[in-house]
Amino acid sequence: MARRMFKRARNGTLVATMYEQEVELLAMTARDMVAIVEEPPDGDVRDRLYPRAYLDPTEEKAQGEYDALVHDDLVQARRTALEVVVAGLEGVEPNRRGMVEISLSAEDEMQWLTAVNDARLVIGTALGVTEEGDTDYEPNDPRFEYGVLYGWLTQVHFELVTLLLDEIGEAGTDDPRLESPGGPTGPGELPGNAPGGAPDDEPGRDDG
Amino acid sequence: MTTPDIQEITVPDTVEELLGEDDVRPDVPWVVLVWNDPVNTFAYVIFVFQKVFGYSRAKASKLTNQVHFEGKAVVANGSREKCEADVSRLHAYGLWATMQKDD
Repeated sequence: MARRMFKRARNGTLVATMYEQEVELLAMTARDMVAIVEEPPDGDVRDRLYPRAYLDPTEEKAQGEYDALVHDDLVQARRTALEVVVAGLEGVEPNRRGMVEISLSAEDEMQWLTAVNDARLVIGTALGVTEEGDTDYEPNDPRFEYGVLYGWLTQVHFELVTLLLDEIGEAGTDDPRLESPGGPTGPGELPGNAPGGAPDDEPGRDDG
Repeated sequence: MTTPDIQEITVPDTVEELLGEDDVRPDVPWVVLVWNDPVNTFAYVIFVFQKVFGYSRAKASKLTNQVHFEGKAVVANGSREKCEADVSRLHAYGLWATMQKDD
């Protein structure tokens, strides 16, 4: 099995271990994404990064208010995430085994997740990836290089999400064992929750 | 001369304060939907539902399956303001979320 890119250190920080070339690739990608999240080209990429809240065309006024309230903050959050990634990769040096280790705070790891996810959204949407997610284009295909980049970002994303999903645990506020008597229950039209394993973590909260 | 309306003073500032953070009521008029898309992965969508709504793995997984296989799922509901807040958080995570009246 290949190395793990992300590991939780004893002190709680997340350690990313990358080849120098990967560091360069991620930094370059994050830098390139800044302009795109700020001013995405009209069309699919823009619609995917900043979807409408209201599909109903008669809610145009509410949509305008939603955009006025949310859009700038959303752009800022995305730009910040990309800048955190770029800053964290600046001036890093490989160790004796040729690997670069980057320690991420709890805040930083969510910024990395946001940045990598947004890069996948932009590139995947621009490439028009399908449900199968196959981006192994022929070398003479103009999409070849971005296809390779998308595949690599998907691997980074997979490793980070796998770890975070493991850490967030099984339990939730809809778990009957955590509900106070007479407390809120899930709405009738949603699936009820199946009996799970034996969660013992706090549900769905930042656990660093 | 009228008596000051005490209810005006004690009314909660936010919907979350009023309902409690995780209250999801079936009888309120707006719903939040998440739509299937080819980029976001199963594991990521499950993680986001757990993180944003505090749902259990079981509930988050069921909703994610519904998004994938049926094309969309109702993931939350509440007042217009609460649903806008939920949608904006899901948008920040890159999910394709919308809201509509619960007809």
